Amino acid sequence: MKRRSNTARKARPPARSASSAKRGKPDAIDALVTASAQALALPIDPAWRGGVRFNLQLLLMVAGRVDEFPLPDDAEPAPVFHA
Amino acid sequence: MHEAKAIDVAWSTAADIAAAVAAGRSTAASIVAAALARIRERGPQFNAFTVVTEERALARARALDEARARRDALPPLAGVPFAVKNLFDIAGLTTLAGAKINRDAPPAKRDATIIRRLEAAGAVLVGALNMGEYAYDFTGENMHYGPSHNPHDLKRMTGGSSGGSAAAVAGGLVPLALGSDTNGSIRVPASLSGLFGLKPTFGRLSRARTFPFVASLDHTGPLARTTRDLTLAYDAMQGYDPDDPVCAERPAEPVVALLDRGVEDLRVAVAGGYFKGRSAEVVSAVDRVAAALGANREIEIPEAERARAAAFVITASEGGSLHLPRLRTRARDFDPAVRDRLIAGAMVPASLVMKAQKFRRWYRGEVLKLFAEVDAIVAPATPCTAPLIGQQTFMFGDTELPVRANLGIYTQPISFIGLPVAAVPVPLEPLAMGVQIIAAPWREDIVLRIAHALEMKGVVAAPRPEI
Repeated sequence: MKRRSNTARKARPPARSASSAKRGKPDAIDALVTASAQALALPIDPAWRGGVRFNLQLLLMVAGRVDEFPLPDDAEPAPVFHA
Repeated sequence: MHEAKAIDVAWSTAADIAAAVAAGRSTAASIVAAALARIRERGPQFNAFTVVTEERALARARALDEARARRDALPPLAGVPFAVKNLFDIAGLTTLAGAKINRDAPPAKRDATIIRRLEAAGAVLVGALNMGEYAYDFTGENMHYGPSHNPHDLKRMTGGSSGGSAAAVAGGLVPLALGSDTNGSIRVPASLSGLFGLKPTFGRLSRARTFPFVASLDHTGPLARTTRDLTLAYDAMQGYDPDDPVCAERPAEPVVALLDRGVEDLRVAVAGGYFKGRSAEVVSAVDRVAAALGANREIEIPEAERARAAAFVITASEGGSLHLPRLRTRARDFDPAVRDRLIAGAMVPASLVMKAQKFRRWYRGEVLKLFAEVDAIVAPATPCTAPLIGQQTFMFGDTELPVRANLGIYTQPISFIGLPVAAVPVPLEPLAMGVQIIAAPWREDIVLRIAHALEMKGVVAAPRPEI
């Protein structure tokens, strides 16, 4: 399957990045929930913080599967705005 | 009322009802009155309707009968009762979108575009239908309004999020209903409730004046008990709508006259790899459809699993963004399962969401290459038949998976790039199983022709429940 340009291949580290591995760590998720809640002015009741944390961890794990896929710098995102 | 007895309103097709009204064998008023009576009598069993628009429906039916009395030509769906998922705006009513919070919203000022188009084609709106909260659902369950019940087994899920749409059509309350499909919300309930469902190409049907979920992925479409009814509704709703920025500037391309063309000229393959069935029901349903179509070739849809992952991320993020104001002020009024996912979605870094959108375009390019070799691809619609209401997990091969997140495992990678799909019901015992017929963008004609051919061969059919 042809899916990566040379540029993209060179631009990527050979293995999964350290940041990607750290992303799913519990302390990183807790910190992200706390910081995001503050940044978004989004109150989180302690009773549902666990559910939010679980879902964010799942989302970041799934997003990591997409993020690790190499794409060239000139890859366009899907939505195209027409003026 | 005596005219209506000439036709069994509960189980007649939309095409038969319209033909009876046009020929004067029934009146629209008697058809609609019979449908309303059945909704009153049977509706509560299925928990399908959240509002019945009786007065409006009877007035509309009378207008159609007056038109016939004047010898005006009647439109193609004259007198056909239909209902809509309650995220479609109905003038004068509050658009609930399955949410408790939306009860406080003002009434809609205008009908959704595709309601207007169906009514312009003679169909008669009889009400709004139950759905999963804010469409973030594959089960048809709803903690505020109760679950929709599968007419084939009331203890079972309809599938969602267009659960009421499926219950109303499968239960013989209406021959036609509208739903929406972001990740599978027409195809999953069609599969679990034994119906035909059409998710058209992204941008084909207007979404104007529907409550949104994920702007990048939202589609609208019909559910019915036959391919012809699905197609009649689809044809009536086509056409550009400037009120929906996503709606394509394409002329209507009617399909109903093409349904009987056969499928001998079409190259059909079965999706392998990620889409290979892991249960006897899935394998049996796909095999039957493949055999009837002479589809001996297997084809690999590349990176389907990653496509599902990207759809999952975009869904949570856009959904979280959409609902952020409500999450700030009324978080306790959400279903907790929906709330926690939306809050988490609002917290996903934008860089990861953008990567998912870039991957989406790459994936589209790769999948479109397949359509140089084949005209249609067959894949399962759901990983299992209808689970019990409240069931938390199901077996996916040897793996136990949560029901709520995974009923769309086969639908998400397809709607992610907006391909047209007809979900067709294979009438297995004791419960039907849906199969997706997938084509290249804008080729709804192909998926509907195949669905019709399978129906004519008796391979697919909407089973009539024993109720």
